[in-house]
Amino acid sequence: MNCIKPMLKNSPNYLKFFLTIVFLISASALRAQEIDLLLKGGHVIDPKNKIDSKMDVGITGGKIYRVAANIPANLAKRTVDVTGLYVSPGFIDMHVHVFAGTQDPGFTGFGITNGFGSVVPDDFTFRSGVTTVVDAGSSGWRDFHTFKKQTIDNSQTRVLAFISIAGHGMRGTVDAQDTSDMNPTTTAFVMKEYPEIIVGIKAHHYQGHSFFPVDQAIAAGRLTDKPIIVDFGSSTPKLSIEDLFMKHFRPGDIFTHTFSGSFITETAPNGREPIVDANNKVKPFVFEAQKAGRIFDVGHGGGAFVWSTAVNALKQGFLPNTISTDLYRSSRNAGMKDMANVMSKFLAMDMSIQDIILRSTWNPANAIKRPDLGNLSVGSEADVTVFNLKDGKFGFMDARGSVKNGTKKIEAELTLRAGRIVWDLNGVSGPQWDAK
Amino acid sequence: MRIAKEYNGSNKVVHFARGLKSIAVTLLLLAALAPRSTFGQEIDLLLKGGHVIDPKNKIDSKMDVAIVAGKIFRVATDIPAASAKKTIDVSGLYVTPGIIDMHTHLFAGTDTNSISANSAAGLSPDAFSFRAGVTTMVDAGSSGWRNFPVFKAQIIDKAQTRVLAFLNVIGSGMVSRYGEQDVSDMNPVMNANMITRLYPKILVGIKSAHYWGDFTSVDKAVESGKLANVPVIVDFGEHKPANSLESLFMEHFRPGDIFTHTFSEHTAGDREPVVDLKSRKVRPFVFTAQKRGIIFDVGHGAGAFNFSQAIPALRQGFMPNTISTDLYSLSMNAALKDMSNLMSKFLAMGMSLQDVIVRSTWNPANVIQHPELGHLSVGADADVAVFNLKTGKFGYTDVRRTKIQGTQRLVAELTIRAGNIVWDLNGTSLPVWTLAK
Repeated sequence: MNCIKPMLKNSPNYLKFFLTIVFLISASALRAQEIDLLLKGGHVIDPKNKIDSKMDVGITGGKIYRVAANIPANLAKRTVDVTGLYVSPGFIDMHVHVFAGTQDPGFTGFGITNGFGSVVPDDFTFRSGVTTVVDAGSSGWRDFHTFKKQTIDNSQTRVLAFISIAGHGMRGTVDAQDTSDMNPTTTAFVMKEYPEIIVGIKAHHYQGHSFFPVDQAIAAGRLTDKPIIVDFGSSTPKLSIEDLFMKHFRPGDIFTHTFSGSFITETAPNGREPIVDANNKVKPFVFEAQKAGRIFDVGHGGGAFVWSTAVNALKQGFLPNTISTDLYRSSRNAGMKDMANVMSKFLAMDMSIQDIILRSTWNPANAIKRPDLGNLSVGSEADVTVFNLKDGKFGFMDARGSVKNGTKKIEAELTLRAGRIVWDLNGVSGPQWDAK
Repeated sequence: MRIAKEYNGSNKVVHFARGLKSIAVTLLLLAALAPRSTFGQEIDLLLKGGHVIDPKNKIDSKMDVAIVAGKIFRVATDIPAASAKKTIDVSGLYVTPGIIDMHTHLFAGTDTNSISANSAAGLSPDAFSFRAGVTTMVDAGSSGWRNFPVFKAQIIDKAQTRVLAFLNVIGSGMVSRYGEQDVSDMNPVMNANMITRLYPKILVGIKSAHYWGDFTSVDKAVESGKLANVPVIVDFGEHKPANSLESLFMEHFRPGDIFTHTFSEHTAGDREPVVDLKSRKVRPFVFTAQKRGIIFDVGHGAGAFNFSQAIPALRQGFMPNTISTDLYSLSMNAALKDMSNLMSKFLAMGMSLQDVIVRSTWNPANVIQHPELGHLSVGADADVAVFNLKTGKFGYTDVRRTKIQGTQRLVAELTIRAGNIVWDLNGTSLPVWTLAK
C-alpha cells in the first residue's frame, strides 16, 4: 500500500489500473461465493445427460448450477465431501398412496382415499432417496381438493398425482364398481385446474367383464393429453392384457403391477393375467407392446411383485420402464419396505445400477411428461440423491413369502430437495461436535 | 408332552428352584395349549442361535427363544428345532425384548388449526416402530382427556404397534401454545377419572409441557398423578426466566416422576441445562435427584439433544434412565431419525449395548408401571426385537447438526409383536426362492 499510494497520487493511469485490480479482486471474491452447496468427489449418474463418471455438482439458489469435474471448493460457501458415494437426480417414485386421513372407509375396504390405508409422504421419501412421489389415484375429482390442501400443500416431498377415474378415488373395492361415477369430463376439469400437479388418470380394481373404466380414463386422457395408469386384473372372468395393451392403450399409457403373478389376492379374486406364460416365458405381445410405447411400471405393493415373474422376465430381456413402490399401509412393512429396497431388488436380479437409476429418475419423469424432473441439467431444481452402494449379504422378500439373496444394497446417504438438505444419514454435511 | 418330561428329568431340581411362580405360569400355559399342541411340535416359532439380552431376567448370553400362541414359552440354550413348527436361524444376531419408546407423538390427523393433537405433526406408529425394533410406543401428551377418545379410535385401536399414552394435563391436549397456558383447562379430577375409570390399561401418566408461567402446570399434573397413582412426565422449557430445575426435582416431583429432554441445551435461557454451561460439569443436584428416584428421559426430538450436554454427562457417569425419541414430523428426518438410530448414538458415545437395551426395555416398562412389558419372561406377550449390530463407519448428529463418529449401528433385522412377525428386513424368516419353483 505504501508504494501504491504515491503512484495513485502521481498518475490517473495508475488510478485506473488500481481500480481495475480492485474490481477484479472483488469480482473474484463474489465468484468465490457463487455456489451455495458443492457436492464434491462423488460418482454422478445422470441418465438424461449421459453422465456416468466422477463429477462435482454445484447448487445455487436451489437449482443445479454446474456439473463438472473438479469444481474448486473455494467457489462454494459450503462443500460436502461425497467421495465414494453415488450422486443422482432425486428418485421419482411414480406409484404411491399418500392421501392419508381420518375418513372412515365405510363398508368397502381399503380406505386409501383420505384414510388410514394411505401413508404420509415425508415419512418414507427422503430416507430412501426419493424427492418426488406420484400418488396413483388415491383421490378422484370429488376429493382432489382435499388431497391437495391436506397433503400436497403440506409436504416437503414434491407430491404429484394421477387422479382416479372413479370420482371418489380409492375408498374401496365397492366404490370402484360404480360406473356411474367415472366421468371423463369432470375429471378433465379438475386436471386442467392443476396441470402442474395432476399428471394423468388411474383406472383400477374393476371387477366387471368390461374395459369401461379403462376407456373412460383414456377419454379423460385424450381431453387433457395425459397418460393413464392401470391396475388391471380384477375382472371376472379375466380380461386379456393383450387387448388392454394393443386395443385400448395409447402409446405412453402405463401398466402397473407388471411383475405380479397369477396369484389370487384380495383385489384380484381370480388372479391377474401375468406377463409370463405357464412356462415362465414372456408373452410375445408384451415385448411388442413395450416397443409400441406402452409403459411397464413395477408398482411392487403388498401383493404385486413375484420373484418367478420378475426373474424370468429379466432373464429374457424384458425390463420394466419404471421402478416404483406402490407404497401404502400394507406394503410398507412387508416385502416392499421402501424405494431404495425395491431398487436394490433389481440389483439382486443383476440389473446394472445405471439401468436402475434411469428407471427411477429420467424414465418416470418422461412417463409422467415432466421432463423438468429426474435430471441434473443446469437450471433444474436441485433434487439430488447421494447414495451408498453397500456390499454385504442382503435378502429381499417378494409378495409371496420367498427371498432372493443379494450382495449390494442402495442406502440413501444424503437427500436434497430444491437445494435443501432434507436427509443426512451419517451427518456427512455437518462438523464434528467439538470442532472449534 | 415334552415339558412334562423335562420336569421329570435330571433338571428337575434346577427348574423347581426357579420358583413356584414360573412353574405355575408354565402349567397354566400348558393347560391352555394342550388341546392344540401336537407332540414334538408345541412351539409355534423358535428363534435359534441368537445372543439374548433380557435385562429383567439377567440374561446376556446365547439362548434360544420359543414362542407359543403369541407368548414367550421358553428361553433356554439349545431348544431342539424338532419341537418347533417354524425355526428361524438368528445366529450372529441379538435378541431383545421388543423396544419401548416412551416419548412419541402419534395423534396423526387432519386438523390444520392444531399443533400436535389430531394434526400432521403426529406420526403413524406402524410407519416408524417395527423397522426400528420398537413394539410399544407411548404418546407423550398429544391428547388430553377431552380428545383422547378420538386419538384412541383414530390411531391406537388401528395400530399393530402397542400404543400407550400419557394424558396431557390440558384437557384439549397439544392443540395450541395458548391452549397450553390455559390453567382453567387443567383438571386433575377429570384427568384421574379418565385414567382410573375409563382407560387404566392404556393411559400411563400425565404430561406437562410448554408452560410459560410458574410451577402451576407441573403441580396440576402431579395432583392428577397422585389421584390416579401414575407418574408425570415434564417438558420443562419455555419459562422466562427459566424456572429452577433443582426446585422441580426436589420440591415438586415425586420419586418416579419423569424429566424428559434431559440433554437439551437451550440458548434462549428459558430452560436450565443438567450440565453447567461454563464448567461442563453435571450439576450436583442432578445426581441427587436421580438417587431420589427422579427419572431422566432422553426425549431427543428436533431440538432437545445436544452432544455438548450428553457427552460430558456420560463421561461424568450420569446416565439417563430411559432412552426415547420424541418422534414427530420435525424430528423424523433430522438428527433423530428413529429409535434404533438413537440407541446407536448412545453406543457411539460409549454406552454399552447392555446399558442401552435396559434403558429401552425394562427401565421404561417400570417407569410407566407396566412391568408385564420389556422382558422375555415365560408367559409375557411375545414382543421381540432381533438386531444386527453392524460394524463400520457411521456418523450420528445432534440438533445443532454437529456429529460424532461411531463404529457400530443397531439395525432391526426381525421384529415380532405378540408372536407375529411384523418386520423382516432381509427375509430371515422366509425360504429362499429358486428358479425351479
